[in-house]
Amino acid sequence: MDKPGRRRSGGRSSRVAARQASAADALVTHIDRGIPYFDVLNEEALALIEHNAETVLEEIGIDFKDAPDALALWRNAGAVIEGERVRPPRGLCRELLKTAPKEFTQHARNPARSTIIGGDRTVLAPAYGSPFVRDLDRGRRYATIEDFRNFVKLTYINQGLHHSGGTVCEPVDLPVNKRHFDMVYSHIKYSDKPFMGSVTHPERAQDTVDMAKIVFGDAFVQDHCVTTSLINVNSPMTFDATMLGSARVYAENNQATIISPFILAGAMSPVTVAGTLTQILAEALAGMAYTQLVRPGAPVIFGTFASAISMQSGAPTFGTPEPSLVLLGAASLARRLGIPFRSGGGLCASKVADAQAAYESANTLQAAAFAGVNFMLHTAGWLEGGLVMSYEKFVMDADQANMIAVFLKGIDLSENGQAMDALREIGPGAHFLGATHTQNNFEKAFYRSTMADNNSFEQWQEDGALDAEKRANMRWKAQLNDYEAPPLDVAIDEALLEFMARRKSASADQDY
Amino acid sequence: MTEAFDDDFNLSELDDQELVTQMHDDLYDGLKDEIVEGTEILLDRGWGAEKVLNEALVGGMQIVGVDFRDGILFVPEVLLAANAMKGGMGVLKPLLAETGVKPIGKMVIGTVKGDIHDIGKNLVGMMMEGAGFEVIDIGINNSVDEYLAALEEHQPDILGLSALLTTTMPYMKVVIDELVKRNLRSQYIVMVGGAPLNEEFGAAVGADAYCRDAAEAAAQATRLIEARRSANA
Ligand code: B1M
Repeated sequence: MDKPGRRRSGGRSSRVAARQASAADALVTHIDRGIPYFDVLNEEALALIEHNAETVLEEIGIDFKDAPDALALWRNAGAVIEGERVRPPRGLCRELLKTAPKEFTQHARNPARSTIIGGDRTVLAPAYGSPFVRDLDRGRRYATIEDFRNFVKLTYINQGLHHSGGTVCEPVDLPVNKRHFDMVYSHIKYSDKPFMGSVTHPERAQDTVDMAKIVFGDAFVQDHCVTTSLINVNSPMTFDATMLGSARVYAENNQATIISPFILAGAMSPVTVAGTLTQILAEALAGMAYTQLVRPGAPVIFGTFASAISMQSGAPTFGTPEPSLVLLGAASLARRLGIPFRSGGGLCASKVADAQAAYESANTLQAAAFAGVNFMLHTAGWLEGGLVMSYEKFVMDADQANMIAVFLKGIDLSENGQAMDALREIGPGAHFLGATHTQNNFEKAFYRSTMADNNSFEQWQEDGALDAEKRANMRWKAQLNDYEAPPLDVAIDEALLEFMARRKSASADQDY
Repeated sequence: MTEAFDDDFNLSELDDQELVTQMHDDLYDGLKDEIVEGTEILLDRGWGAEKVLNEALVGGMQIVGVDFRDGILFVPEVLLAANAMKGGMGVLKPLLAETGVKPIGKMVIGTVKGDIHDIGKNLVGMMMEGAGFEVIDIGINNSVDEYLAALEEHQPDILGLSALLTTTMPYMKVVIDELVKRNLRSQYIVMVGGAPLNEEFGAAVGADAYCRDAAEAAAQATRLIEARRSANA
């Protein structure tokens, strides 16, 4: 081993550069898990919930609303159909799901950023769906396409986020029937990470697929997954035509969907954890099996959005213990089923990036990490129950994302990890700072938070006595300032713009 | 569970004042049968329907509303209370109509086209019923035509539009514009709500009120109806 401190390393300038680049700057496409899963249900309990879920399917059934094509597929597969109610006999959904991949690659336009969803891996993506944005300077306001681009850029810069996400915020300044073009285009143009598609109308899903074809090529898209999209169940036990139509378009084109029972327990499911898990499993089984009816082998993810309502107002609550138990239980059920699992995120109900936001978010992020979530939507930026995307919280959460990655890797038990040489070298009563082992390892030994201030009170005061939110404000601005777009093939860019212009001019602007 | 109280007594043995107080408690406890019975007893004793409505029912629900706002009563309890109120209203409604007393008000409510978020709308309906309104819930995903048909059929005082998506809330304007176009706008109080809306949005689409939550919706509705009735009086 080199003797530390006896080499020329470029002196001040190169050291400064190296130290300013965070350890998290290396390009990573996912987290490889090195620690065991945390199961809150034993074998007997899991079997009980599985049994109850099959009972729900067979006895109560699931509504597939305004979707005669879906009903026809189910009828052919052997389900009992009554009106719009589908009752798959015990075991049918599981049987159908045998064609669903255990894990799959979602390709990015930069192949080095293609990621794998499933197995012992975790992929992190930013928050999704908020109509408002917030920052310290301008407060809370409706999001615009400019904000959307900013969050795509911030996600691109933050390497701990492996996926560009989808509706990182809703560009309310664009017409409803056309904003999906600009959203998909922004993901392609301002990032080269994998991204999500539009689901608010089957036509918009098709536009997403068509734009992906321009980027990846027609044939490639047919046998490779290049988008993952969010299909929410209208719990309890209902799929609506919009979601079914979009799911169908994606599955037909071999693109991934996340079938997500989206539960505000108490309103959308029973108030107990076991009852909620039962409903989640039944809904997910039915939705995922539907994708396999559309196209056997289409990639699909078992989603779970777990929250509870405040019984005092009906408002969604986050970071409380019961939804964490739901999340952990659902992860175990998905693992037994052999299907990739989506849940988690930095969920909170707080209005600003304060202590409530931090506690609630940490609770969900950690439950998700322990549970072994494969695809974590809402990792960064989420405030106010998903109504607000916060610039400051985004960079705070991105720091947490990097920490999760370190934690999940687990404990290094290599010779270097065992550190016997350091123990021998120092012995009783001394300190380890000068040990050879320390000199060789110190830089990467401990996660260096990009957000925390650990200085003395006096230094913190001299630096302006900045609280976390103010530091975060400086950080996101610096990141946006340093942002450089990944190169995009000019011909592809032109083809995308041409496609969008043509499609946009084909219909009038609409507000629905 | 709350502790069981001695409830083994006969409502008809109470004097008027005791009975009204008891009905306030029974509304609070969500006891529909008892509220229907109490309402009938007061009517039998010669109370006018309007007096029963205001003193026994609305008075009781006001207490429920205050304690809901203050976090003492929970949603499922308010749901029961509203249901009990509805039971009493069922008895009073024909009598109020006979005597030409204006009912508290009627509302048609539904989520707009493309929107299936209905938890908030359901809570609004519940609070409105609790405040004595007749609520016609036309469910989710309503087109302009469906709203118009419901207005035509039910002739409500209030049209309530709910939306939770930025992709669907602009449709509120489509509905309101159509009312304007058909010269129907002034016939109705239009209230809008849903988490992604705000005060300015409500004003921009031409609604009479934006309501941030269900309790506020009931309070605003009462105010707006009173204002309108006194303006027309
Ligand atoms: C007439 O007068 C009035 C007066 C007052 C009125 C009123 C009318 N209406 C409401 N009020 C007011 O009083 C109520 C009681 O106090 C209040 O009602 P609220 O509804 O605000 O409050 C309720 C008591 C509790 N709140 C809620 O019920 C809504 C909570 C959130 C988390 C939510 C839920 C639960 C759901 N969702 Co959806 N959902 C979100 C919501 C985020 C949020 N925090 O609001 C939001 C609104 N959803 C969103 C999205 C994206 C979607 N959702 C979808 C689906 C669903 C579920 C079906 C899973 C479920 C709804 C179930 C149901 N039966 O309602 C999809 C669309 C479905 C559709 N076509 O409508 C889908 C598109 C998701 C997808 N990719 O599949 C986001 C909005 C995006 C946007 N562009 O605007 C969202 C902000 C979450 C997010 N970050 O993604 C007040 O607003």
